[in-house]
Amino acid sequence: MVARLKLVMGAQGRLTVGRVLLWIIGLWLAYMWILPFVWMVSTSFKLPGEVMTQTIEWIPRTWTLDNYRVVFQKPIIRWLWNSMVVTTAITLASIMLGAAAGYALARMNFPGRNVFFMMLLLSLMIPTEMTIVPRFIAFLRLRATDSYAALILPPIAEVFSVYLFRQFFLSLPRELEEAAAMDGASRFRIFRVIALPLARATTIAAAVLLFTTNWNAFLWPLLITFSEEMKTLPIGMAAFAPVTMNRTQIESYAPGMAAMTILGVPSLIVFLFLQRYFMEGVISTGIKG
Amino acid sequence: MTTQRLPAEASLRDRLRRMTWKGERIEWSAYFYVLPFFVPFVIFTILAIIFGAYVSFTEWRIIGDPLWVGFANYVRAFNDDFVPKVWGNTFQLAAIVVPGTTILALLFALYVNQRLRGFTASRLAFYAPRVVSVTVVGLVWVWMLDTRFGVINQYLHKVGVPYIPWLTNPDWVLWAVGMTTIWWDLGFHMVILLAALQDIPSELKDAASIDGASALQQFWHVVVPLLRPAISLVITLEIISAFRIFSQIFVMTQGGPAGASFSIIFYIYERGFMNTELGYSSALSLMLFLTILVVTLIQLRIIRERA
Repeated sequence: MVARLKLVMGAQGRLTVGRVLLWIIGLWLAYMWILPFVWMVSTSFKLPGEVMTQTIEWIPRTWTLDNYRVVFQKPIIRWLWNSMVVTTAITLASIMLGAAAGYALARMNFPGRNVFFMMLLLSLMIPTEMTIVPRFIAFLRLRATDSYAALILPPIAEVFSVYLFRQFFLSLPRELEEAAAMDGASRFRIFRVIALPLARATTIAAAVLLFTTNWNAFLWPLLITFSEEMKTLPIGMAAFAPVTMNRTQIESYAPGMAAMTILGVPSLIVFLFLQRYFMEGVISTGIKG
Repeated sequence: MTTQRLPAEASLRDRLRRMTWKGERIEWSAYFYVLPFFVPFVIFTILAIIFGAYVSFTEWRIIGDPLWVGFANYVRAFNDDFVPKVWGNTFQLAAIVVPGTTILALLFALYVNQRLRGFTASRLAFYAPRVVSVTVVGLVWVWMLDTRFGVINQYLHKVGVPYIPWLTNPDWVLWAVGMTTIWWDLGFHMVILLAALQDIPSELKDAASIDGASALQQFWHVVVPLLRPAISLVITLEIISAFRIFSQIFVMTQGGPAGASFSIIFYIYERGFMNTELGYSSALSLMLFLTILVVTLIQLRIIRERA
């Protein structure tokens, strides 16, 4: 019996009551932690009249797609497209700018290198919220609000990306690059053909982190977009928040939960497949501090 | 002409090529690598902050030109009754979120680190809320916290707890936002702590247990001291993000009821963008920035003294 329990738990070493309890409580907590998502999906398939029930019903009494039809009355395909364009552009740009600057800071000798690096370190302490008012005024004066440029340009200079690449290139042994330099390869060739391909894991970790951060970005897109056509998905979908409606509009939470399912489930699926890179990204943020 | 210019050009190129910096040859091409990043960085961050500081000394209502008013916005901030209230709200939120997230993240990390069957699935579950948009997090919790029909109150009611007006009562709203934030943020901090736990050599724990240390003693005298830098980091990151809470409030409460959940950033947003008081809004954000800077520096000093 004890041997079988050990096998089921995957436990090594002594089996104590404490460890059995830990195993059960841990799994129970993990299950509780994802219940809000189950509740969201379940509500999204309920008839609006069957949402506010006297007892909790995890399985819809009647399954319906009506809520999804309500959500699709909004221009969500357009919002999805905006989010795709904006997030992809920011991620690609941040990676390219970050890799190049990180490489130069790690490997090349030039006046101002330390000044550049100190500026990066200091800016890690500056909350982005500090810059929103001046950025907003600048785009307003340039008559460039409510545009892709306004959504994409400010976030591309992502300090975190430079930092990550600099750390990686510093950890890379110099011998390979020195051998290539002996053979007469130019600096750019060394960077592109030798250093950059070795940074593959760093690039993926940075890309995953940049993509999720910008996909979920809230404050700046909220301020800078005015028209329905320019909103990103999280901003557009926020219109389903009950606080922004008046009491009579809140007939039911069901359409809102359908909207949140459309917004949330794709992120969760991507996470399921790329979880390793998510964790690596977090750990490198940790090392950064 | 060309024949006359050539030697001069050659010598300039030669001189550039021979120039050194800190005893090594300068690679001028480095600027091609660095500037594409630093030009937007300087424009959108450094210049933006300087410009923001200037705006904080003006009265500017978006339309028209800025009017220099000196320290008037700062004087106003010190006399504004709502400023201590939003700071108070933010501190209360921090007092819920920071210890809540740290303790739970540590417990969850310790459990995951035991590598009992199903631990990868658990890690996945704990991190999952972090990957979805705050819009999803906020809305799902608003529905779960519904006073009469929300799942949370319905389950609490089953065990005899009266219906709690989470989002409609000023005394409860910060708890509601705080709980939501803990659910959202915990996974991120758990992963940082988990990485630190995995770096602890198992020989250390083995040595302690051979010396007869109980599991609790091991944890307290071996694990905790080695985790201290990671815990400090997690706490610093949490304090900073608690000062910056905005989106949850935007989605869940819009600062209500009766201003009970106005955070600092939400007030900055409300003044600057709902009431177009850009000068006052800038002054408030500069004050927030200085506070965050002080907190970070104090934290750095504490970490350094302990190390």
